[in-house]
Amino acid sequence: MRVDWLVLGDFRSYHSLDWKPEPGVNILVGPNGAGKTNLLEAVSYLATLRSFRRAPDEALIADDTDAAIIRAGISSDDRERLIEIEIPVKGARRTQVDKQRLRRTSDLLGVLRVVAFLPEDLDLIKRGPAYRRDLLDEIAIQLWPAAYVDQAEFDRALRQRNAFLKSGHRDGTTLDVWDARVAQAGGKVALRRARVVEGMEPLLGDAYREISSSDATTGISYQSSWPSERFVGGSAAEFTDGMLSALRETRGTDYERRVTTTGPQRDEPVLELDGHDARVHGSQGEQRTMALAIKLAAHRLIAEATDSPPVLLLDDVFSELDPKRSSALAGALPGDTQTLVTSARPDEVPVVGVVWSVDGGLLRE
Amino acid sequence: MFEGPVQRLIDELARLPGVGRKTAQRLAFHLLTVEEADARRLSVAIADMREQVGQCRRCFNVAAGEECAICRDVKRDADVVCVVERPQDIVVVERTQEFRGLYHVLGGSLSPINGVGPDQLRMAELKNRVEGESIQELIVATNPTVEGDATAMYIAREFKPLGVRVSRLASGLPVGGDLDYADEITLGRALAGRMEL
Ligand SMILES: Nc1ncnc2c1ncn2[C@@H]1O[C@H](COP(=O)(O)OP(=O)(O)OP(=O)(O)O)[C@@H](O)[C@H]1O
Ligand SMILES: [Mg+2]
Ligand SMILES: [Zn+2]
Repeated sequence: MRVDWLVLGDFRSYHSLDWKPEPGVNILVGPNGAGKTNLLEAVSYLATLRSFRRAPDEALIADDTDAAIIRAGISSDDRERLIEIEIPVKGARRTQVDKQRLRRTSDLLGVLRVVAFLPEDLDLIKRGPAYRRDLLDEIAIQLWPAAYVDQAEFDRALRQRNAFLKSGHRDGTTLDVWDARVAQAGGKVALRRARVVEGMEPLLGDAYREISSSDATTGISYQSSWPSERFVGGSAAEFTDGMLSALRETRGTDYERRVTTTGPQRDEPVLELDGHDARVHGSQGEQRTMALAIKLAAHRLIAEATDSPPVLLLDDVFSELDPKRSSALAGALPGDTQTLVTSARPDEVPVVGVVWSVDGGLLRE
Repeated sequence: MFEGPVQRLIDELARLPGVGRKTAQRLAFHLLTVEEADARRLSVAIADMREQVGQCRRCFNVAAGEECAICRDVKRDADVVCVVERPQDIVVVERTQEFRGLYHVLGGSLSPINGVGPDQLRMAELKNRVEGESIQELIVATNPTVEGDATAMYIAREFKPLGVRVSRLASGLPVGGDLDYADEITLGRALAGRMEL
């Protein structure tokens, strides 16, 4: 899977850009503020429909303009597709694939798949559990685009249930209804996370050992605030039923605390290194290696499952690593994958590829 | 910006849904240039509508008298009632020409985030109808959203014990959208393939 060409109009610092990246490794070099990350952000937006920096859509529109445009030609398995996205200051975002308006924006997911690694992802192990939950959910969307709808429904239903609890009303029928809705979507969210964890397990160990050049063992498991591990290997319906009974059991507590105290919103993947929780036991370097290994494992998992390696985006990653890890990471990068690497210091990028100099525009060196 | 009365009209028009500043300006200047009688007809139509149209006391559809045209039509099947969120949804279901029963307009869907519980919807009115009329089945055609689904489920819980069948439009409707969004064929199929809740 790759981006054949990319056209930007009034996107962040780009008023007009027409770029044809190479199928292999592309190294984007330029001073701070040149627009390197902006370019990766545009590519990632095509795949996920949101900013990988979690910026709101308005922030993507170039200052003092009316709308940002992202257009791209994507090819995978000899199939070529055209994606067009317009993000206006006023009104709704418009997305088209092959000139067809999409009925649901989620229909765009899967046309392009990316795995992105940003400097802050190096702290994935140290950060709050929400980041690790999001990681699993993001991988799930790349594997099964329908996961996007279930995640959105789960978030919405949970917010409704919490708003009801917060109101202080006690009405069994109304709470039953929100329980059912939360469990229906939440069961699917948890099932997919469990499947992602299962698929990642063997790949994570390999990736970790490659980057660390060690024989360390790793583990990844899904830690749940409700006994979801009982349902691993089960169907979505079993997850949903399990979650429904968990909600019933905590109903008294939930009424009292006026918030939903159990469910996927409280779960997290736990990462282990040589049998210890990496979060509390790992050194800074080990934690960063683990973070890199997780992204590489995610890339391999998606590549295997979809038969087409996702585009890999590495933003400023090498400059954050010591020389040994940096070259080990370079060696562990997947072949056969379109890769976009950015750096302000090209001498620190230990991979071979086509170098582009970025400074407002883009020039092949 | 413009002469007082012109600017006032522009401001009013711009408050309408889907009308931006520019369109409001165009409409106002258009009304300024057409025959005075043509412009006046519009203002009379608005005044008449507000004066003569109210809510149907039975189903809460819009109505020019006490009851709406659908409730007054004796050929319609009073045993089946289609429950919708808004009066506009009735038009959508009617377009399919697949439904010959009556309607009930809830006035929204359950949404604690917006402070809407069963008491803020016309649930009590629906209960009165089920108890007082010959209703055998409720077809819930709330929007295919999280809130619409929850509302359908709530209706099933509350009304099945009263001995009526409660069904929901079959899937196939785009999730997260409005009923408006579904074309007639999809909606017709959804009506035919409704699922008992
Ligand atoms: N909406 C916008 N309109 C115009 N310019 C913007 C907008 N958003 C960001 N920029 C500009 O884009 C530039 C940042 O670009 P970017 O983050 O891609 O830099 P970079 O090349 O990755 O730099 P670094 O090496 O520091 O990471 C900033 O100068 C910023 O002012
Ligand atoms: Mg940057
Ligand atoms: Zn009526």
